[in-house]
Amino acid sequence: MENPIKNISYDALVIGAGIAGGETALNLANTGYKVLLVDKELSVGGKMIMLSKVFPTLDCAACITTPKVSEISRHPNITIFTSSEVANIRKVGDNEFVAKVTTKPRYVHIADCTSCQLCEKACPVNVRDQYQFGLVGRKAAFIPFSIASPKAAAIDIDNCTLCGACERVCPTNCIDFTMQPEVFELHVRTVVVATGFNLFDAEKMPRYGYGKYKNVITAMQMERELAPTRPFNTVLRPGDGKVPDKIAYVLCVGSRDASVGNPICSQICCMYSIKQAQLLMGALPMADVTIYYINIRSFGKGFEEFYQQAKGMGVNFVKGKIGRITEKEGGNLMLRYEDINEGKLQEAEHDMVILSTGVVPNTGIDKFFVNENLMLDQFNYVGQSDMLASPAKTSIDGVFVAGTATGPMDIPDSILSAGAASSEAISYLIKHS
Amino acid sequence: MEVEKGKTAKILREKLGGIPEQAKENLKEYNRIKKLILEALADGELTIKQITEKVNMPSDEVVYYLMSLVKYGIVKTGDVDDMDEYYTYKLNK
Repeated sequence: MENPIKNISYDALVIGAGIAGGETALNLANTGYKVLLVDKELSVGGKMIMLSKVFPTLDCAACITTPKVSEISRHPNITIFTSSEVANIRKVGDNEFVAKVTTKPRYVHIADCTSCQLCEKACPVNVRDQYQFGLVGRKAAFIPFSIASPKAAAIDIDNCTLCGACERVCPTNCIDFTMQPEVFELHVRTVVVATGFNLFDAEKMPRYGYGKYKNVITAMQMERELAPTRPFNTVLRPGDGKVPDKIAYVLCVGSRDASVGNPICSQICCMYSIKQAQLLMGALPMADVTIYYINIRSFGKGFEEFYQQAKGMGVNFVKGKIGRITEKEGGNLMLRYEDINEGKLQEAEHDMVILSTGVVPNTGIDKFFVNENLMLDQFNYVGQSDMLASPAKTSIDGVFVAGTATGPMDIPDSILSAGAASSEAISYLIKHS
Repeated sequence: MEVEKGKTAKILREKLGGIPEQAKENLKEYNRIKKLILEALADGELTIKQITEKVNMPSDEVVYYLMSLVKYGIVKTGDVDDMDEYYTYKLNK
């Protein structure tokens, strides 16, 4: 049974605690406004916190994200609700919204958890770790990942056997299976939508064999294999644990492809693939890495130089559209592709294939608003009512949008967009104070 | 009702009328495979290919369960073979 509704007031509600939502919340909080930051995950940090390094500088993603996340978590003007989702938002006045937010029970009192991991050690269960994209297991009593914030355990109640082993070893008695969902009715003066993006589900393109051929993985899985907190001791094929030595990247999987409903460019896939190729050449110096592309879009600051650097390191670039991937005995993969420069069909054998999946919108955001219409654009991203003059404005006065909720973009652009959204929100709050 | 700290799992178990069936099945399966892998490694270090042959399971499942056991500190990684292709794994005694 849900607990009774709790009434609380904030100046701003920021939906989504990824890099854009976090930046927006920090900017608002630093200006003196009280912010509620809501995220459906167990930790703040969004997708960026899961990355190995960032392009084009090859800086460690965690080294950039962790201080930012720490600042967000400790800021006196920011309240964070993790494992929480916005059920609905009603506009009840010129600068007043009422948002209903539901928080799922974590079964751990965060303030009392010392992240000692004794519960993890005691838990007998093993399930696929969603934060390692299924490459390795985790316990049902678990800390989401090593740099999670809050760094506190959580209980995966769907997979828990309720044996109580975690409770018995917990030195602070912070595990509590009597916790219930909580519903909050929040009064806020402005709303910033920073709900981010989803990655294209590669299983929707069966001709690439993802899910069927175990040595075909997504770029996000490779990102984890390359991260310091990686699932394996080194880069391995998930199919048989072999160290790969002939690796292929397939670009534009689920982007620039009207047949799967996503005709636009994802803007980040070329560069993250080139980044990973460089990291792979560092991790596996003897490996051959080939990138199959339609066009390389190296449009940002330092991107072209980064692309040329990859070429200089020996990454092989083939202008080719992959038609089909098939598996050979032993787990190697045959790529049948159209060689665009030669104008003919070719085949190539690789021992591991990485699908550079595209960016797709996080849908359903418009349904939050019950008495106002949040307009979406033609690709189902949050519509910008005045894209050139006020890119953070939406169709609802007092509701702003930040980061990839408006469309595909890289990390620096997400942070810039968050700056724009927070400026617009602050201006709105001052105007209506 | 006063909730006794450290014994709340029992309360939820009684409320749900027992352990969820799916969770029970998952645990059984994990314990079965863990036993097979640990028995295979009891005589010395092996590559994933060799473990796969001994336990008669698909190699991708061996990778997943073995790497989980490495993560939990039950198994540790040994050396890579002469071809730099396969690592060996051994019990972390």
